[in-house]
Amino acid sequence: MKKPLHKHIGHQARKMHGHFTKYLYERDTIFATIWVFLFIIILGSIPLNLGSLNPIKLGLKDLDMNDMSYSKLGKAQNTPIDTSNIVVINIGQADREGIAAIINKTASYKPKVMGLDVIFNGPRDAAKDSLLREAIQRNKNLVVAVKIETDSSDKLIPTENFFLNNASYYGYVNFPNDDKETVRYYFPFKKDDHDKQIVLPSFSSSLVKLYDTTAYNKIKKKADSKVIVNYTRNVTERKKQYLVIEGEDLLMDNIDSSAINGRIALLAYVNLSPNDIEDKKFTPMNEKFAGKSHPDMNGIFVHANIISMVLEKNYVKKLPSWANWLISVLVCWLFMSFFIRYYLESHIWFHLVAKIIQVASAILFVWLGIHLFDRYRLKVDMKMSLLVIIMAVDVIYFYEAWAVWMHKKFNYKTVFKPHHH
Amino acid sequence: MKKLQLFTLLFSLTLAASAQNNFLLYSFKGNVSVVENNVESKAKVGKPLASTATVKVAAGGAVTLICNEAAMFTFTKAGTYALNKFGDSCRVSSSSVSANYVKYVWASMTKPTGSAGSNRKAYMNTVGAVSRSINNIWIDPRLDTLNYPGGGPEFPLSWKSYSDAKDFDFSLYSSDNISTAIHSTSVNKLKIPIGDIANKMKQGNSYFWTASVKGEENDELKIINYVTKETYAAVLDAIKKQGAAFEAPAEQAYRIGFMLEDAHYLSEAYTYYTKAATLDTANALYRSTLMSFKKDYEIK
Repeated sequence: MKKPLHKHIGHQARKMHGHFTKYLYERDTIFATIWVFLFIIILGSIPLNLGSLNPIKLGLKDLDMNDMSYSKLGKAQNTPIDTSNIVVINIGQADREGIAAIINKTASYKPKVMGLDVIFNGPRDAAKDSLLREAIQRNKNLVVAVKIETDSSDKLIPTENFFLNNASYYGYVNFPNDDKETVRYYFPFKKDDHDKQIVLPSFSSSLVKLYDTTAYNKIKKKADSKVIVNYTRNVTERKKQYLVIEGEDLLMDNIDSSAINGRIALLAYVNLSPNDIEDKKFTPMNEKFAGKSHPDMNGIFVHANIISMVLEKNYVKKLPSWANWLISVLVCWLFMSFFIRYYLESHIWFHLVAKIIQVASAILFVWLGIHLFDRYRLKVDMKMSLLVIIMAVDVIYFYEAWAVWMHKKFNYKTVFKPHHH
Repeated sequence: MKKLQLFTLLFSLTLAASAQNNFLLYSFKGNVSVVENNVESKAKVGKPLASTATVKVAAGGAVTLICNEAAMFTFTKAGTYALNKFGDSCRVSSSSVSANYVKYVWASMTKPTGSAGSNRKAYMNTVGAVSRSINNIWIDPRLDTLNYPGGGPEFPLSWKSYSDAKDFDFSLYSSDNISTAIHSTSVNKLKIPIGDIANKMKQGNSYFWTASVKGEENDELKIINYVTKETYAAVLDAIKKQGAAFEAPAEQAYRIGFMLEDAHYLSEAYTYYTKAATLDTANALYRSTLMSFKKDYEIK
């Protein structure tokens, strides 16, 4: 008589469960798992940077599989346009006189706070400098951009803004990565290494301080710690998730006052052409998540995303390293038990099953990482779990030899037999 | 109980029917106005609009709207648009990241990457040069240089217009004098058959051509090399010799078409793509390439 479907499924599930757990509590499984991690620690401790000759390592240095969720899986595609907090005003190629006019015009629409994401290196035309200085001085709710550096005495200082002394507020616009890397983190505040009283705010933190005290108090607690940027909005030819007003439209009063009134107005250079990479950064929202690409997002939208994250309090949580290690130990233990079962009882299928399991688990773990990131804003590093599954297959061979040798020398009890295959 | 269920259903339906889309005027250019409550006013960036509003776009204008804070669409043609008729444009896809992941992995694992020869667009998309000036006419960079040996099928020189113009000026210049056209004509289509101007050119010489909205100027010049029959024969011969030992006639025709297109002999490439598709009617690649070629070069 044919078995009913539910019994058939139940039987198969029990069978699969047996495959995974039959050797789970064997000492060989536990010791082989330990050997996997010993190998990882030993290989990781070799004080040579072999990666410089490894094109795969070089190519994938900046890879984060979660980036795929933006470029391929439609994450953040349906985030509504920000119609209440942030408006971006494109200064285009305006000179200092033009920027002064844009600042004054923006101020006439009464934004709650303005941010000018422009670095001014030294004096230029005296008359134009005066106009800009006057505009910066007059608007007390304007935050200007600086860069932070350390001076000759190793003291943290704001630099690269000729009008810094005329501004009421400033914030740094540097990110803790080089130009070729994806901007994933930022420091809301930076403390001086020696004098802890010196704390400089980031551009976004200064703006939030003037806009929303509650949100500011929350971000203030993260002083000097690296915060993951949660990218939720972008502005491209196809997608507009921040309102961008052209400087010309602003100066010609082609603007509805509600677009700026009471909001954060960010004044910056915006160009959506992919061939114009001025002030553009690589972000996880890049259409290519791996390999060569163009920087994809104007710097001001990176700041805008940070501000949105702080105001909406949707920070990304990161699983601590110990938890990632713990997950990888559990995964390694479980898979080692499974592999040993096939190694001993169905050796002819061992390699085929191991390869299929490796591919399937890669697909599964990438999905798990993406799902947790998308659904719970939790960043879990599944790389170690994948690595241990890959290494487990090779370590079994080593472990077998080691266990047999131990058995001969010290009568070590093992499920592996001499000359098993 | 049944009455309560019926009431709930009717209430839900009423709510759904009365749900109004809301719009945001994101950007505009040219003369654009908005009519709300029978009052017409100039368009303003960032203005929220109800679905009862109407947007008026004058000739040469364009306006981009965002519906329900998510879906973006643009009116580029002159006209009056009642926003309540654009509910369809407010829809956004809502499949989950996990569902998209499964689709992506499956597609990546099952879809062959293909070769350059099976994808003429992937192979030839690096054509192009810098562009100067902004005008209302766009000429595909693929037509930047055209080698034409005369004869062959009818092949059009085509362009696209950003304006609603109905008439266009076509001009042909000799390579040594781009200030005075050797031939000018007005057309009311977005193309002109190359056969129509062949008698204005001499084989072995190069010419420039351009198209503009009637009464406007376009500095963007494209090149026609009116090559001799001998030159073309030499090119064709060289291409033919590159074939594999056992090449079917359809395969050979497709390869020659592909290589002729790469060498800018577009009307001749068209002949060979047609030949390949005719010789092997069951081959989807030959058929789709021919269709794609005809679409790209406005061949009807």
